[in-house]
Amino acid sequence: MHVHCSMKCLTDLEMRSPRTLEVWRLGTVNYLKSLKIQDKLVSERKAHQIPDTLLSLQHPPTYTLGKRRTDHNLLIPQSELTKIGAELHYTQRGGDITFHGPHQAILYPIISLRGIGYGARNYVETLERSMIEFASMYGVKARPGNKCETGVWVGDRKIGAIGVRISSGITSHGLAFNIDPDMKYFEHIVPCGIADKEVTSLKRETDDLLPSEEVVHEQLITCFAKAFSYDDVVWKEDPAVILDTKDNE
Amino acid sequence: MASRLLCASSMIASHLRISISQRGFSSVVLKDLKYADSHEWVKIEGNKATVGITDHAQEHLGDVVYVELPDVGRSVSQGESFGAVESVKATSDINSPVSGKVFQVNQNLSESPALVNSSPYEQGWIIKVELSDAGEVKKLMDSDKYSKFCEEEDAKH
Repeated sequence: MHVHCSMKCLTDLEMRSPRTLEVWRLGTVNYLKSLKIQDKLVSERKAHQIPDTLLSLQHPPTYTLGKRRTDHNLLIPQSELTKIGAELHYTQRGGDITFHGPHQAILYPIISLRGIGYGARNYVETLERSMIEFASMYGVKARPGNKCETGVWVGDRKIGAIGVRISSGITSHGLAFNIDPDMKYFEHIVPCGIADKEVTSLKRETDDLLPSEEVVHEQLITCFAKAFSYDDVVWKEDPAVILDTKDNE
Repeated sequence: MASRLLCASSMIASHLRISISQRGFSSVVLKDLKYADSHEWVKIEGNKATVGITDHAQEHLGDVVYVELPDVGRSVSQGESFGAVESVKATSDINSPVSGKVFQVNQNLSESPALVNSSPYEQGWIIKVELSDAGEVKKLMDSDKYSKFCEEEDAKH
């Protein structure tokens, strides 16, 4: 196991055994289904049955709330949601209300923070850095949020959102980066509970031509892997393995 | 009242500052407490225990904006989640270092969640538990072991 590090001292070996990230590209996944998949992966990661895992996906139009259940930030009655083709879900993640939908790239890392000695703050800062790095590939100068405004901003416009859960040191939920979503959906909420700021997208902020979504997602994943210093990235080829998990509920 | 003063002064006397050189700031670890590897502390007084999260934990969380408290009367088990804190858009589960029944929760945390950051061992206490198995405390770390544990964790990156 330590063969490739033979020249290094013992403490170095202990700290730097190769870190692998397994990536699943799942396409469009219903929100509740993605929660079930994540729950399963969190248990498996906690039991050391799988390595650090990353889910890359999109959701159909979905509004979600965090643990604080700030539903006063949903500006239309829940009964109206089916009319606009959207679902609403209450979750255990941190953060306020947000929208997920087509052409928004989502990453759900299921990783062990204890493995890298990270706490919530370092983890979230590194997620922000991943998105900032990704935006820079298109000439977009993004920045982390000010205190209490976690997320990624271009000027005063929010381009990337974060909402995370950490359970026994294992992460779930993650980040959402606006590539070219239907921005009208954001009008029905106070996004992330921040009232006077706009939401934006990569499409709006860059003059560059955007490649296919597959390529865009791959670039975001690569920025994530780099920011978290993974040595190996394993691209899992058969999403059916994870999507067809038999639910007992 | 007298016992509280005694308690406060003995806590001050037992402050042990550890300097974790990689990070450049020191994390406070108190001698009289026991610690779980998920960074919760417990103070045992007879068959009653007070639980909170450590200075190391609150530093790594960032500013706490919300604390999810369990109901009084609820059972807790060693190593299992009983509540959560939210900071920087992350909710982090809090695990109980002991098993028993919750007989008091710190209601101040609903109004002032930041007490967890400013006073993690005193005003930021989270729950009080009537122990069901005092023997389990043996599985926890003492202050020296916990300090070393924190150093090793922080050295990982």
